[in-house]
Amino acid sequence: MTSLDVTIAQAVEREAAWRHRRIAIRLAIFALCILVLWLAAARIKMSLVNVVLGVPGMADVFVRMFPPDLSYLNRLIAPTIETVQIAVWGTLLAVIASTPLCLLAARNTTPHPVVYSATRILLNLLRSINELIYALLLVSAVGLGPYPGVLAIALHATGMLAKFVAEEIEHVGRGPVEALQAAGAGRMQIILMGILPQVLPAVVGYILYRFDVSIRSATVLGLVGAGGLGFSLITTMKMFKYHETAASILMIILLILVADWISGWLQKKVL
Amino acid sequence: MNMNVAVDRLATETAVSGPNADPIISIVNVSKSYVRGSLVALSDVSFDVGRGEFIVILGPSGAGKSTLLRCINRLAEPTQGKILLNGKEVCDNRRELRLARQQIGMVFQQFNLVSRLSVLTNVLTGRLSYRSTWRSFFYSFTREDRAMALECLEMVALGHKALQRADTLSGGEQQRVAIARALAQRPKVILADEPVASLDPKIARQVLNYLRDVSQRLGISVICNLHQIDFAREYAQRIVGLCQGKKIFDGPPSALDDEVLNKIYGLRLENAGD
Amino acid sequence: MSDVTYVDPQPTMTFFVRAKFLAFLLLAAAFLAWSANALELSPGELIHSLPVIGRYVARMFPPDWSALHGLWDPTVDTVCIALWGTVIASIIGLPLGLLAAKNINRVSAVRLASLTMLNVLRSISELIWAILFVAAVGLGPFPGALALGVNFGGILGRLYVEAIENIDPKPLEALRATGAGHLQTIMFAVFPQVLPQIVSYNLYWFEVGVRSATVLGMIGAGGIGFELVTTIRLYDFQQTSAILIVILLLVTAIDRLSAVLRRAIVK
Repeated sequence: MTSLDVTIAQAVEREAAWRHRRIAIRLAIFALCILVLWLAAARIKMSLVNVVLGVPGMADVFVRMFPPDLSYLNRLIAPTIETVQIAVWGTLLAVIASTPLCLLAARNTTPHPVVYSATRILLNLLRSINELIYALLLVSAVGLGPYPGVLAIALHATGMLAKFVAEEIEHVGRGPVEALQAAGAGRMQIILMGILPQVLPAVVGYILYRFDVSIRSATVLGLVGAGGLGFSLITTMKMFKYHETAASILMIILLILVADWISGWLQKKVL
Repeated sequence: MNMNVAVDRLATETAVSGPNADPIISIVNVSKSYVRGSLVALSDVSFDVGRGEFIVILGPSGAGKSTLLRCINRLAEPTQGKILLNGKEVCDNRRELRLARQQIGMVFQQFNLVSRLSVLTNVLTGRLSYRSTWRSFFYSFTREDRAMALECLEMVALGHKALQRADTLSGGEQQRVAIARALAQRPKVILADEPVASLDPKIARQVLNYLRDVSQRLGISVICNLHQIDFAREYAQRIVGLCQGKKIFDGPPSALDDEVLNKIYGLRLENAGD
Repeated sequence: MSDVTYVDPQPTMTFFVRAKFLAFLLLAAAFLAWSANALELSPGELIHSLPVIGRYVARMFPPDWSALHGLWDPTVDTVCIALWGTVIASIIGLPLGLLAAKNINRVSAVRLASLTMLNVLRSISELIWAILFVAAVGLGPFPGALALGVNFGGILGRLYVEAIENIDPKPLEALRATGAGHLQTIMFAVFPQVLPQIVSYNLYWFEVGVRSATVLGMIGAGGIGFELVTTIRLYDFQQTSAILIVILLLVTAIDRLSAVLRRAIVK
């Protein structure tokens, strides 16, 4: 056995020990995750058995919906347009509301730490509540129709958007900002010329993403009477007109595909 | 010290029984063009590579050096011509190609290591072609594989860094790991595509030294793309000059005079000393 | 001082570009105006409804903490729904994502089919899926988890495709050159690169899942949504705000946890 053999044998042992330690740790974490998942599955009564038992039910629903009633699509054009309008205005209002809020919620642009904390808490509040809950509450307050839908989307989107932009602002490169400060620029000028150009691409991308999400949310707002395609969906279901329900679902898929495509096209144009 | 022992030991393991004059690689009338013929990368290139020979392919960028190398292990498809490995054509058949690639190690300009994996695992990927798919699914290798991989690392004097993440190593070290990975395949040929272009001259020399060393002592043929003329002169046993896809020169470094360089590089090399 | 003449670069081009841009703006403005009209949205309406909403919000204070009784179970259910929803989503999204990735799968028909599948899954909101699953398997948190899993499967699958297509192709090439097989190449060159990204996405969408799961109860698919809707239907707004605060705390806690785990993974 040469000294090389000894070295290699030692190295193999060392590597094996290291590897076994790593595997042990990973297995432990894995076992923990499996345990948590198993407990959760038991809790929500989820099991392969239930999935299998559920298949005939799902097949039944599918059969009842197929084929979709394509003639119903004509009646869906108005709700579809309404859905888009809700999403557009909801996102737009969110952008307008987020503009001051994002500045207040970023450590480097906020006027006072108390304002910072308060804004962050407000944004967290706005974010955590689902659009549908807002819609439900607003419908109780201002009545049925698309208007509460717009506000519902706007409120949630404001929370998400402002927080995102605030984080982007906080991560901005200090270089251009310092250069502007050195040149004697005022606070607003620094924000407009130093910070805004840096965050713009990511922010615009996020706004388009938010619009995409808003359209998807807007499709269900009708469930609580806040306008859009969701209303046709739930009404046709309640009336057992499943072929028309299928048509509504088809319309939703089409709408979102188109929205995705437009959103992607816009992203390429703007960025 | 261990490095030399490792290399010597491997040399005896893979000792060729008696001299073998057949070329290990034969490149026969290889041409490659893109865009339906309008872009010609290689034009009727032919030459043989002897066993244990260190060949440098010299030429300016765009001359087709990379393309040629990639045609050998079929990372690129030649439009015409064929390439023989040990007398057998390197073809499209998946199984045959896999066996052929087993015998051909490749070292890339950008090292092409998997950054997040350890140095040892990177070298072990050279053994994948010998192992079944299902075993590798669990990232499992045999003890022999691990010992072999560590030995290859010792050959490039990096055994002590086996457990580190690949991206924690310097450029030169990463390239040595790449060489170790190629060695783990127990190849007959190593293709090196601009292996030192991203390294500074001192480190580059180190890497080329390792490459030449394993080539000489293990009898592995090396086909190395270089654009640095002085490296070519220093390390090559034979130089093949490419210009615009055509083979312009094939001979020993001593025959590489200004006239030839002129043809290859299309420059007027003024004699600076006068 | 030399004579320097500045030539205006292609003035006609700029005109057309400007004209197109203006036309686009006008079109957008027209659409917005038309929409605002259709939605009964106007500054007047906004200002008018603000006090109405304000009064409503006032009715929610102070929060009636008695609502917290019996809220523990639905809250845990909500988290479990989100947990399994994310797991199912990964199980659906990963194979579809691999099949749809340009650098993994060369068969474009299969890629297109996978991508379409993913798109369909993600376009249908999880609530609609939930309605369908409830109609199929009955009420409870189980259809909720399935709905979340299916919808997020499409979303995560799409994200996985992007992550897979954006990996450094060089290690892939190197592995192919050693003669490694297809699956081996994926295991050693693709997974190590995308794994942190995948885990990060999963953690983020788990958080989103918790937020979505809070409303699934509205349609009987389990979780805290049911309690919430009941308080609204019974006009018990002070209880509503109590439950909303619980949701806020839950989401914030999950958000923190998710951020910490994500930072730990990227190391």
